[in-house]
Amino acid sequence: MLARFALLFITSKTFMEFFLPIAHMDVNIVLISLYGALVGFLSGLVGVGGGFLITPLLIFTGIPPIVAVSSGAAQMAGTASGASFLHWRNGNIDFKMGLVLLIGSWLGGGGGVYLAKVLLRSGQFGNVVVFLYVVLLGFIGVSMLIESLRAVFRSAAPVKKERSASAESNSLLRTWVARMPWQTSFPASGVRMSIAGPLILGAVVGILTSLMGVGGGFIMVPIMIYALKMPTKIVVGTSLFQLLFTTAAVSIMQAGINHSVDPFLAIILILGSVIGTKFGARLGARLPAEKLRLILALVVVAVAIKMIVTLLIPPGDIYGMTVEVR
Amino acid sequence: MARWTRLLPLMLGFLLSTPSWGEEPLIVAPSISEVKITTDFAGTTVEAVGAMSRSGDLIIKLMGPKQEATLSRETKLGPFWVEGERVKMEDAPSLLFLYATAPIASLLSPEEQQKYGLSLEGVWVRVEPQLKAHAASDWRQAFLRLKEKQGYYHEDDTAIRVFGDRLFIANMRLPADLQVGNYTIETLLVKSGKVVGHTTGGFRVHLSGIERWVWVAAHDRPWLFGSLFTLLAMLLGLVLNAIPFRRGR
Repeated sequence: MLARFALLFITSKTFMEFFLPIAHMDVNIVLISLYGALVGFLSGLVGVGGGFLITPLLIFTGIPPIVAVSSGAAQMAGTASGASFLHWRNGNIDFKMGLVLLIGSWLGGGGGVYLAKVLLRSGQFGNVVVFLYVVLLGFIGVSMLIESLRAVFRSAAPVKKERSASAESNSLLRTWVARMPWQTSFPASGVRMSIAGPLILGAVVGILTSLMGVGGGFIMVPIMIYALKMPTKIVVGTSLFQLLFTTAAVSIMQAGINHSVDPFLAIILILGSVIGTKFGARLGARLPAEKLRLILALVVVAVAIKMIVTLLIPPGDIYGMTVEVR
Repeated sequence: MARWTRLLPLMLGFLLSTPSWGEEPLIVAPSISEVKITTDFAGTTVEAVGAMSRSGDLIIKLMGPKQEATLSRETKLGPFWVEGERVKMEDAPSLLFLYATAPIASLLSPEEQQKYGLSLEGVWVRVEPQLKAHAASDWRQAFLRLKEKQGYYHEDDTAIRVFGDRLFIANMRLPADLQVGNYTIETLLVKSGKVVGHTTGGFRVHLSGIERWVWVAAHDRPWLFGSLFTLLAMLLGLVLNAIPFRRGR
């Protein structure tokens, strides 16, 4: 039934064309909401924000990179607000930790938006975004793929070895964090550390949010669990809280400085992703965790490969043109 | 005095017999005076309907407002193809359609074409920063080629339909992604290598309704717009998430 409706909409092409005022181009509503639904589906399925997927998909469609990144931030603020509200009600947010992370990510996000402006002016924004994506997605995708393949085939020995190796690097990070000044305790998470740790972590994530349009949960969550030793439930709630207010701030700053938030694009994405999240969450409850992680890893690797391929293949036309929209 | 009055009809006759093609040999009416870009805008067709006082060849030139374009060239960085040099192309029209009843080069001499701006190759483009002649020419060629490929510049000698050597209609299909501003339609009547009639009309393209509202808000009050919209997005997400949650319980 739903598929038939979708097909009907797709075939009546002109009806579903929508002119985006900020991107200054017409897009197919169905296509954009399918992107939103796909990302929402994944985030419902495996619990990631999915910002890392939205931006490349929008760029492939021809949306200017800066508009894709900025509208993606607005979309994440929208989808994160509902989820954070639930976590707040369940008491899963460490507000002290969240606030320190936020201060860091606001500073980082502000710096990132300014950096985006400088890069836009010098014409390097597209290059930087693509390279950051290739490096980050490649690294995360491959390590996730290895980890989930091991889990699926249950080869116990290598997992143990990896755990000890990561524990070693984690303890290094922990002693480094422990030596820094401004030690303070975070009672809700039951940990004691320097304020500088979450501040720097927040700043890094903030820069990534404004340059790549990602929430940064994929970096934040593992570091908070493994390096800062926070309880998993609190980590998810707190990182969502941080994500909500970082993406909101970045969205406001991108609109204020680069005039690049397209409201219609963001709204279509939010609508799609809310629907997708419901389906994803329903399916996610039925599938085993290691299979879910494998799916996510495959998607991440596929996006990274697609980006590498576009970098490696000689372009059909070495010239490209962008026009000043007025 | 008498001599003068006797001369009058002669002078009038002389004036009237002068081929006055400069006056009204051509009448052209564009089918619209404005194009509104609304949310469902996906391009439009503009018709130019006209009449000519005598048979001849026709050239219709549709020109969009000036537009600043940035051209980039991919270069190889190690094994990767990345965006390299960039130049700005200024003062070139955003859109240029040349319609005629025969190939323009066969109707007018290159000088005449240049005078009326009737060749795609002759489009005036300012390359910024200033480059050496051959480098600038490469960029210029690339610019013209891309404009043609994207459908903003083209020449067509079959698009004008003429009825009985007097009436004509030209259909001009405009793409969705249009530069906002004034578009001019110039129509020329050509007889044996000379322009014997020339009229200019036009229409305006502008954002309309909510599109215009959003664009103005996003550019004139960017911080207010960004804050309000982000708040709206957060509320939307909250509401959308809450509804099925309650129902599910």
